[in-house]
Amino acid sequence: MNRYERAALAAVGLMLVAAAAIFLYAPTDALQGPVQRIFYLHVSSAIAAYGCFAVVLVGGVIYLFNGSIAADRFARAGAVVGVVFTTVTLVMGMLWAKPIWNTFWTWDARLTSTLVLWIIYAGYLLVRRMAEPGRQAARFAAVVGIFGFIDVPVVHFSVTWWRTQHPGPIVVNDALPAEMLATFLFTLACTLALATVFIAIRYRIETLIDQKVNAVEPAEVIAAPQPEAAP
Amino acid sequence: MNPLRVAMAVARKDLRSEWRTRELVPALAQFIVLALLIGNFGFQIDSRNAATIAPGILWLALVFAGLVAFGRTFAAEREQASLEAMLMTPASPVAIFAGKALAAAALLVLCEAVMLPALSLFFGTPFSGDVVAAVLLATVGMAALGCLFAAIVARVRARELLLPLLTLPLWIPFIIAGGLAVQSAMGLPGSYQQAIGLLIDFDILFVVLTSLAARFVLDE
Repeated sequence: MNRYERAALAAVGLMLVAAAAIFLYAPTDALQGPVQRIFYLHVSSAIAAYGCFAVVLVGGVIYLFNGSIAADRFARAGAVVGVVFTTVTLVMGMLWAKPIWNTFWTWDARLTSTLVLWIIYAGYLLVRRMAEPGRQAARFAAVVGIFGFIDVPVVHFSVTWWRTQHPGPIVVNDALPAEMLATFLFTLACTLALATVFIAIRYRIETLIDQKVNAVEPAEVIAAPQPEAAP
Repeated sequence: MNPLRVAMAVARKDLRSEWRTRELVPALAQFIVLALLIGNFGFQIDSRNAATIAPGILWLALVFAGLVAFGRTFAAEREQASLEAMLMTPASPVAIFAGKALAAAALLVLCEAVMLPALSLFFGTPFSGDVVAAVLLATVGMAALGCLFAAIVARVRARELLLPLLTLPLWIPFIIAGGLAVQSAMGLPGSYQQAIGLLIDFDILFVVLTSLAARFVLDE
């Protein structure tokens, strides 16, 4: 077993422990009932997604300034993992909203900005796929990643100013009972560990892809049909 | 080279070539009238609900017309490979970009000059200076962002697919604030002053950001 497999196994193990804490240790919410247990993973994966997109932002800025391929690979890895966690956040949120708000979706500030976040970074992945691999794709994607990161708070702000009904941040103003807070913090730590492992593995994959692309190019040149020598 | 003069020269070049072919503006104007027509049949408009629906149709038509307009901005340059030639001159890429954005915004304003009267003709909504101001303010920021992403997708496969995917999410703040401004100008509740203030803020933010980013997109 190499170190990536060991890290992946450890991360999955941690998530299982977090699941046990969510379902066995944390008390059932008096008002919302068992549905409230979605909150732990929902908020944790939202924070993990923001972290991933921060990696995309920082990687993109570093790449634009010094052309570091490592920074670009981190950005690529962060975007893929971030889209996964945003998807989890959106799906978990919708599952929670149906029994509590009696609708899967509403155009509230957090929901709208999370959806925009998902669309922007899905677009980022498409740019990566469709641009000529190499410097150009990295540059264009860096610009998309930076604009995406700036756009999300702007969308959030504009909808908040318009209308909002998402539950406010209850963690910070200390409204959570101790067991719930402990479960949340533990789930958050496990989810962040999982995201870190994902990014590390994805970084490794991107490195291998880069090596393969670089290795193939000269071989193709050699394999191209040579003009026949004059007799 | 004076960047302002470069930008004006590039904008003049783009507008002159549009004037000589007269392709884009008539096509876009026709597209906008068609969009209003489809909106009319899609929604069953009458005098009571026109003010509720018209702002939505206005922004839908404007956004899609804008996508076509900005997609075309770099198409001709790509076909002739003339962008590379421009970039080889000592002119700064940011000035060239500003010129292209200016020309694209001017073409979009021409389309708006068709759309706003047509909207109030077909839907019976008030045609006021407030509506015009909101649409023009949104056009500034939308043009900056639209041109930036048009420059990106110009060198990417499947550019027609990618331009809307990248541009529309970034236009959403303008559509939120502009939508509210137009709604309140057409008599629906909402603070017009606040929406206009927000539009101006977004314009400043995104014009500054795109001019910082243009260097990385055009500099090849």
